[in-house]
Amino acid sequence: MSTVAHRRFSLDNLLAYAIVGAGSLIMLIPFYFMFIFATHTDREIMSVPPPLLPGDAFLMNLEILLTRIPHFWKNVGWSVYIALMTTALNLFFCSLAGYAFAMYEFRYKKQLFALVMGTMLLPAFVTMIPTVLVMSWLGWLNEPRALYIPAACTALGVFLMRQYIGSAIPRELVEAARMDGCSEFGIFWRIVLPLTGPALGTLGLITFIASWNNFLGPLIVLSDMEKFTIPLALRSLQGTGQTPWGAICAGAAIAVLPLLLIFSVASRRLIDGLTAGAVKS
Amino acid sequence: MALPVSPPPDPDQDAALASRGAGDGLAEGTTNVPASTSLIAEDLASPTPQHSGAVARPAAASRRRLTMRKAAPYLFISPFFILFLVFGLFPLLFSIYVSFFQWDAATGLGGMEWVGIDNYAFVLMQDDWFHKSLYNTAWMGIAGGLPQHLVALPLAFFLHTAFGRWRNTFVGIYFLPFITSTVAISLVFTSLFSREFGVVNAMLGALLHLENIDWWQPQYSKTMISFVVWWRYVGFNTVLYLSAIQTIPRDLFEAAIMDGASRWQQFRHITLPMLKPMIYFAVTLTIIGSLQLFEEPFVLTAASAGDGRMSGSGGIDQAGKSAAMHVFTTGFGENDFGTASAVAWILFMIIALMTMLNNRLLGRDTEGR
Amino acid sequence: MKHMLRPTRPWQVLRPLTGLLAVLAIQGASAQTTITVASFPDFDRAVKAAIPLYKKKNPNVEIKLVSLSYGDHHNAMTTALATGANLPDVMAVDFGFIGKFAESGGLEDLNKAPYSGAQYRSKFTRFSYPQATNSKGALAAIPADIGPGTLFYRADMLEKAGVTQAELTKSWDSYIESGKKIKAATGAYLIPSAVDIKDIYIRSGLKDGDGIYFNKAGKAQVNTPRFQRAFELAKATRAAGLDANINAWSNEWTEAYKREKFATQAFGAWFAGHLNNWLNTEGKGKWRSSQLPEGAFASWGGSFYAIPTKAKNKTAAWDFIRFMTLDKEMQLEAFRKLDAFPALLEAQTDPFIDQPIEYLGNQPARKLWKDAADRIAAITVDKYDIVAKEIVDSELDNVLMKNKDIKQALADAQAQIEKRVRRR
Repeated sequence: MSTVAHRRFSLDNLLAYAIVGAGSLIMLIPFYFMFIFATHTDREIMSVPPPLLPGDAFLMNLEILLTRIPHFWKNVGWSVYIALMTTALNLFFCSLAGYAFAMYEFRYKKQLFALVMGTMLLPAFVTMIPTVLVMSWLGWLNEPRALYIPAACTALGVFLMRQYIGSAIPRELVEAARMDGCSEFGIFWRIVLPLTGPALGTLGLITFIASWNNFLGPLIVLSDMEKFTIPLALRSLQGTGQTPWGAICAGAAIAVLPLLLIFSVASRRLIDGLTAGAVKS
Repeated sequence: MALPVSPPPDPDQDAALASRGAGDGLAEGTTNVPASTSLIAEDLASPTPQHSGAVARPAAASRRRLTMRKAAPYLFISPFFILFLVFGLFPLLFSIYVSFFQWDAATGLGGMEWVGIDNYAFVLMQDDWFHKSLYNTAWMGIAGGLPQHLVALPLAFFLHTAFGRWRNTFVGIYFLPFITSTVAISLVFTSLFSREFGVVNAMLGALLHLENIDWWQPQYSKTMISFVVWWRYVGFNTVLYLSAIQTIPRDLFEAAIMDGASRWQQFRHITLPMLKPMIYFAVTLTIIGSLQLFEEPFVLTAASAGDGRMSGSGGIDQAGKSAAMHVFTTGFGENDFGTASAVAWILFMIIALMTMLNNRLLGRDTEGR
Repeated sequence: MKHMLRPTRPWQVLRPLTGLLAVLAIQGASAQTTITVASFPDFDRAVKAAIPLYKKKNPNVEIKLVSLSYGDHHNAMTTALATGANLPDVMAVDFGFIGKFAESGGLEDLNKAPYSGAQYRSKFTRFSYPQATNSKGALAAIPADIGPGTLFYRADMLEKAGVTQAELTKSWDSYIESGKKIKAATGAYLIPSAVDIKDIYIRSGLKDGDGIYFNKAGKAQVNTPRFQRAFELAKATRAAGLDANINAWSNEWTEAYKREKFATQAFGAWFAGHLNNWLNTEGKGKWRSSQLPEGAFASWGGSFYAIPTKAKNKTAAWDFIRFMTLDKEMQLEAFRKLDAFPALLEAQTDPFIDQPIEYLGNQPARKLWKDAADRIAAITVDKYDIVAKEIVDSELDNVLMKNKDIKQALADAQAQIEKRVRRR
């Protein structure tokens, strides 16, 4: 990039490479062993030294996983369903709200937006207890909608969409559409939404990942193993003294693989989205 | 919100406030086109809409359009607020209410018994478990949080100065743990930390000739959890710092190099001072995140849960129990919803206090800039 | 004769009829009845085994088993009782939680009609009913299996160390002394954790009506000679390096069993099933069972079935519970499959009890357990047992790890329990 980056190959640089390289190894090692262990029997995993290369027991581990978590594929299905629903709802509602905050002038706009941002500061554990009660009153316990409806429009999403729409979509375009007699919602739906592709992509990925990884939410509203999401299902293998390590690693790998795939094709976009505000400040 | 899909350390309040200026600037810059918009905004309370009248239209239709236009933004943002009302604000208020009652929820709503501030008094003065969990939270917050920044700062600097083409790859590697399922990876860590056959002990044994450590013993479990927390979030902070370093004017570095400044001097005298606002922001996120710590200790300590113990009690001697876990066990383990709510609110107050304190300590210098 | 001809009260005539109606009602209702049974491993295997047998008798009843891990199951049931949502029809409750659940008020009083559980009292092991009876006298659950405390030991290791069973079990002190010999001769630990010794000791030497942690009036009984001795024994074990300091049910524990690192384990009789089924399948023939040291008798564990007040199919649930607990064949089936020692007396007198157990070197150990079961005191349980256990374990840890004075530790534990148990 700059002259700074293009400095000659120096001892300094070598040190930097070494440190950064060693650090990234620490970041990758758990993933590495997750995949390696997924292909070994428990006996092999528990030997000293532990296996360092792939084995051939993956299918066996998968079988153990499916016996210990009889509804595993169903659990995967629920995770996908809940993540997709959450994502779809967020894409719509967040861009709608983001559009309103970016393109309209209205009373209390500033205050309302500050409130939206303020809700991010609310820790999940404060509402943990009453949330269970609310869900039980609504009859939503053990229902996937207890997870995707409360999360259908997140503050981060509104913020991201507001930022993008405000900077990427010319107001003239909106005005022109209005002059042509387009309805307010029509402007959003036909003019604005199609132009927010990149931001929707980012928001979609972030939402999907967050929902996929969500643990506290399912932990308090789901108690039926058949309706567990993957994180809950995997955790249920713990604490019995007979933890099947290979199977757990196989399950963890299945839970993490989609994330790795998403990340490998869209890492830049995800990193920017997740650190969005910060980058801009 | 009640069940946030947003990632743990939410990005981010301050940035939003910081960037709000830009958004508003944009709005003001374009007011020449939708002159009517701002008029309408000012006149929202008045029943008679103003005619912008550039194009002649039947009055009724025009009025309807204007009403629609005034109502639209409220309509568009309403889903957020409806959801917040039902799943955020109501639970919030209800938990304040419950915190003043003795309530074994199995008895139904009728079983609530007013006890005033008794729950708060108990939690603050008598609840040894809460105090212990608070201590644990602080311990793990410092041990897991501080190194995040101590590592992320130089790391971001190295990535900025010494990496060209490969920078994004390494940034990606460091960021990977942040997007990974906490539960899945904590389970993997459970096996890595195993006493007899764990990779961690094998490595420590090979490198430092240490005896096998039982990481679930009270004197070690917090270290283990802190490491996993560090591992998860160091990359996030690195990205924050890297993006801030990238905004530092290049000529500052170039001038320093001309003057023969070493890399350490560049880091010490240019990068660090310029990064102060970001350090403040990132540390704030870490403090908020640490005080909410739940998933990592919850999953990691479950490995040592014995017979007859509730989920979330934090392992042997509750050594790995975070304050948020204490809310969970008080509520769902002991079934004492009143006290659990009081714990939650006290913890919330502590978070607010810590954020304010941090604002005072670190934020003061930042505001001047 | 007389009373048959001239019933004293008219409704007595109708009694058989109401019974018939009830049966019809059950069967009518069960035309599409699904009952949900919530349980936890390994206890859930009893239900799994029962499903086909029960369906043979009741083809119209579907049984849905929901099984979560031990801790999660009891957490989930606590939440379910609190919110009234997602309650199963039949709830399995472990001994560790029965006190808390019995007091919750969320379970049916099975002493009352239509259950009238009191009539079955004499059919069960003497001490099992009091465990499921709460402070108001309500019967919250029916016992399914019990855990007569016993000492499992490795015969081969004892032999190698030249220790006899009599020596091992003469007293707790001789038990620890034997441990030293075993460790020297075989390298195996006497017991996984010193905490285990404390746990079995505090359960022994109790009288009818006593509780482990609380007396009948709900006063904590922790600062007592019983706990004092338990802590001393644990400390002596740790000091002599006889325990591996491994928590029961942890992964290290499992692994150590597989590697045959332990010489003894004091537990409920059900532990034979765990050893045989997965912990140490290769140790077949090497393990034996004996009474506890010092002639102690203790109840360790046990499981119950309860019906939540807000359950949907109480009638069917009750029928299923009776099948699981009062049916001799079913009780024996669980006995065979997972060494769940039957709470039902009728099952305890079956010839099966005299059969040798292959895993235990053909020792007819069930007779031994039966003998223990007959002599275990009927102790009471308390809502705060779990809280007390948590505190006592913490203090024992302080004693073992930080060398805290035992007297001080027990006084602290007593004070802490009293502090936490603020609302009775």
